[in-house]
Amino acid sequence: MNIVVCVKQVPDTWAEKKLSDSDKTVDREGVEGVMNELDEYAVEEALRIKEASGGEVTVLTMGPEKAVETIRKALSMGADQAVHLVDSGLHGSDALTTSYALAKALETIPHDLVILGVESTDARMSVIPAMLAERTGAAQLTFARKVEVGDGTVKIERQTDTGYDVVEAATPAIVSVVEKINEPRYPSFKGIMAAKKKPLTTLTLGDAGIESEKVGLAGSGSSVAEFSARPPKQAGQVVKDEGDGGSKLAEFLASQKLV
Amino acid sequence: MVDFAVSDEQEELRRSVRRFLADKSPSSEVRRLMATDEGYDPAVWTQMAEQLGLPGLAIPEELGGSGYTYVELAVVFEEAGAALLCSPLFATVGLAANALLSSDDDAAMKEYLPQIAAGELTATLAFTEDSGDWSAADTSTTATPAGDGWTLDGHKSFVVDGATAGLILVIANAPDGLSLFAVDRDAAGVERAALPTMDQTRKQARLTFAGTPARLIGTAGAGAGILARTSSLGCAALAAEATGGAQRCMDMAVDYAKARIQFGRPIGSFQAIKHKCSDMLVEVESARSAAYFAASEAADNSPDLATAASLAKAYCTDAFFHTAAENIQVHGGIGFTWEHDAHLYFKRAKSSQLMLGDPASHREFIAQQIGI
Repeated sequence: MNIVVCVKQVPDTWAEKKLSDSDKTVDREGVEGVMNELDEYAVEEALRIKEASGGEVTVLTMGPEKAVETIRKALSMGADQAVHLVDSGLHGSDALTTSYALAKALETIPHDLVILGVESTDARMSVIPAMLAERTGAAQLTFARKVEVGDGTVKIERQTDTGYDVVEAATPAIVSVVEKINEPRYPSFKGIMAAKKKPLTTLTLGDAGIESEKVGLAGSGSSVAEFSARPPKQAGQVVKDEGDGGSKLAEFLASQKLV
Repeated sequence: MVDFAVSDEQEELRRSVRRFLADKSPSSEVRRLMATDEGYDPAVWTQMAEQLGLPGLAIPEELGGSGYTYVELAVVFEEAGAALLCSPLFATVGLAANALLSSDDDAAMKEYLPQIAAGELTATLAFTEDSGDWSAADTSTTATPAGDGWTLDGHKSFVVDGATAGLILVIANAPDGLSLFAVDRDAAGVERAALPTMDQTRKQARLTFAGTPARLIGTAGAGAGILARTSSLGCAALAAEATGGAQRCMDMAVDYAKARIQFGRPIGSFQAIKHKCSDMLVEVESARSAAYFAASEAADNSPDLATAASLAKAYCTDAFFHTAAENIQVHGGIGFTWEHDAHLYFKRAKSSQLMLGDPASHREFIAQQIGI
């Protein structure tokens, strides 16, 4: 079974995230980029399926040139090859246009299964898997906490608020995974060295047959009109205990409707 | 000219190991493991070997390792030191694997090194006795020929991970002089007693041998040469580890100096604190240069390895001890508490200073080497 894993480079999970003043998009230059954490679980799941039942794992990313770092990380974990969709015309694409671009890029890679994390830590929309399924006509298997691959079928346990649903579909399918699914492997130095020699294909808008007016800031249906910094933390209220500290705390909690 | 700038791939290795240790060896785990008898988590050791390939990183491919160099290994030791990793890594890789590799004993290397690289075997080198002399000059443990093999009688002290190691390499006096012997985990007549250590993150033991069957490693009388080379390689590993520890102490101090407000401003804005922090940076940077100089001399199999390793060992462990002490000062009262990690680094720094010879003895050795 040939698998494509979609990965995204995001600003370091723990770094302060900023929007750039000029075009109100996420500032990706000023902070260190890392692979979106949930995508690591997606790579791991793809590698486990490959190790159990064969096939090839291709990494697909859309992002600026710097995103090649994230590609290298996925390759060092053990993916076989990578496709990098990189074009300045893609800058500022929203979820809808991103799903269009990714769907076009997916057409260039033969595959049975697409795996990705349920959301990215920077945008946190959680809509790309569903949108991709809609655009490609593949089955939508989202929020998977367990994946089982059969002959031309995929069965998942879909995480819900109260438990899980078992969902099964024929391939091709789009699977999004939650972090409960596995423990992503840590790349070894051997893997890191091997990653340098693995094939990496670069796609521009033209290569993938993407219409430039349908992507990027201008092509996006949604845009950021305005943003402001979070207000600084206010000083808290100090309760002095003069024998009635307990009841004052209770009063405060009651006034906030917490008790 | 020696070039030891770290490559992109080595930097990726660092990131991978750092992430692994942040997940598997946070302070809470260090504190849990240092209170156990074994002193390490076998599951983490297995993952280090099977997934990251760390124990076998510098072991040749034909002996089950990945065949990379001591510079990559130094990156791993540096990160392990920064995280205060409780692990048989130093004893197994920094000492025992290096002793085997220095022995030129093909059969022994083929038997033990693949197991070490695979994480199936932990090992240590027992060479110090009760006097605490790291040169083994006063070795009283004796080896006597017995049939096809040998038997050992005597004791060894301050054996790193001596209570848990699956393979114990022992320096003993044979009729031909100091020689290296291998003793199996379950060999007859071995008694292992854990020693109380100030640095609880690295366990030590006293081992007693009474008619213990042993296997000669290398040739009889070659022990002093093997020990000298192993000691240099062990010093290079300790130097890298100490550099990581010193860096972490500086990071802790600088973070605290920025966050702690006193008299209405961060304490880092006061000269007395500023000077401490900048002195720490000078030491950490110099330590890193010294550590990677020693590691690249080891990687190149340079004849100057012994001098470089002694230099790095003396400088890096002194730097670690000083930054660990200053870190406590910058933290003030909270730095003296059990709950704060500062004391764990302070104790590791002290034990690293003394292990494999204190800084003064290494400086004396360097002085002899350069003829002053």
